[in-house]
Amino acid sequence: MKITVNGQEREAHAGESILDLCRREGIPIPTFCYHQAFGGQGACRMCMVEIKEDGQSRSRLVAACTYPLTKTAEIITESEQIQRIRRTIVMLLARRAGENPLLEELSRAYGAAHLPAITVEPANCILCGLCIHACAEMGRSAIWSMFRGVDKRIATPYDEASDDCMGCAACARVCPTQAIKVEEEDAVRKIWNKTFALVSCSRCGKYYATREELEYLSKHGDFGQQQLCETCRKKNLAYNIKTFQQ
Amino acid sequence: MSKVLFVEPEKCTGCRSCELICSFIHAGEFNPLRSRISIIAFEKTGFSFPAVCQQCSVAACMEVCPVGAISVDEATGAKIVNHAVCLRCKMCTIACPFGATFYDADHDLIIKCDLCGGDPECVKHCPSGAISYREAKTANYNKRRANAEKFREVMEEGR
Repeated sequence: MKITVNGQEREAHAGESILDLCRREGIPIPTFCYHQAFGGQGACRMCMVEIKEDGQSRSRLVAACTYPLTKTAEIITESEQIQRIRRTIVMLLARRAGENPLLEELSRAYGAAHLPAITVEPANCILCGLCIHACAEMGRSAIWSMFRGVDKRIATPYDEASDDCMGCAACARVCPTQAIKVEEEDAVRKIWNKTFALVSCSRCGKYYATREELEYLSKHGDFGQQQLCETCRKKNLAYNIKTFQQ
Repeated sequence: MSKVLFVEPEKCTGCRSCELICSFIHAGEFNPLRSRISIIAFEKTGFSFPAVCQQCSVAACMEVCPVGAISVDEATGAKIVNHAVCLRCKMCTIACPFGATFYDADHDLIIKCDLCGGDPECVKHCPSGAISYREAKTANYNKRRANAEKFREVMEEGR
């Protein structure tokens, strides 16, 4: 299927999204809520592009991440109209996360007007929903979006420590604005109002995982875990081979 | 025919050249902390062991990955991490029984040996030949030979 992107002809697979095509062809499209592990959500609208499909008289704006390509089309990824939309999105998101380096940089790049900051919980959250997807992929779904409209925020049910949370912090690492706080000190990890006691390595005493994480792993299969940290697992293997050889 | 990264700890001198070249090729700096291969040295007995990913056929890292970010390289059989898909949940680092998959906190990446796409640099820079890249079928031929040698000695003593 022939797709024209910014005047150049490209080959697309039927049904793939505009964003997938552009990423593969190395055409830059900015995104906040897209992650290759989950695909598009169409939440942040940063990836808006102009498309004119076969048989249409005029182009229209669609979110590149969720729009499947089904017929020959012409796509424009940069135009004054698109630039204006992105500038507005960045301007609005910068109110929530103005001090975040990513938003600071984008505000400069798009020349977005500076509006007074608003307080959001957790601080710097732009509601992209990546953390929710990450948690769901882990099979936990401990966090979700709560309330509606201006009160909408990401939280555990009733802001309480969730039984489903295992403290893996995947949510924090996929967050584009580092809004999710993970505190790790000595034997304790704190995230989403829950305090985890960390399990220590039986050889060197280093704290390396939460009990819940180990339970999660044991459900996925027996890989001969021995309550050892990564370094001690290497040492253990080396030691076994040494004893075997001598 | 599949090849394996074959280590012979009895040949390893513990010079750590492999750690340096590995981190240089993959991370652009000489930093053993970012090397995919590590030398475990027993100083008192003078025994060193190059610990590296075994590219297990049923790989724990691959089995536990919730998003399928670790896949098999068809050409080499290496288990490769796709950083664009990876969520950094670190389950693979806890699951690996050999501690060969780990998290680089400074650069927010899960790192493990990828066999350099079929041309491992550590092999080229190992001065003592303790690491080699050879056909899986014939890799341990020398070990078998050494064992046979021991048998011969025992049998001759018995005469």
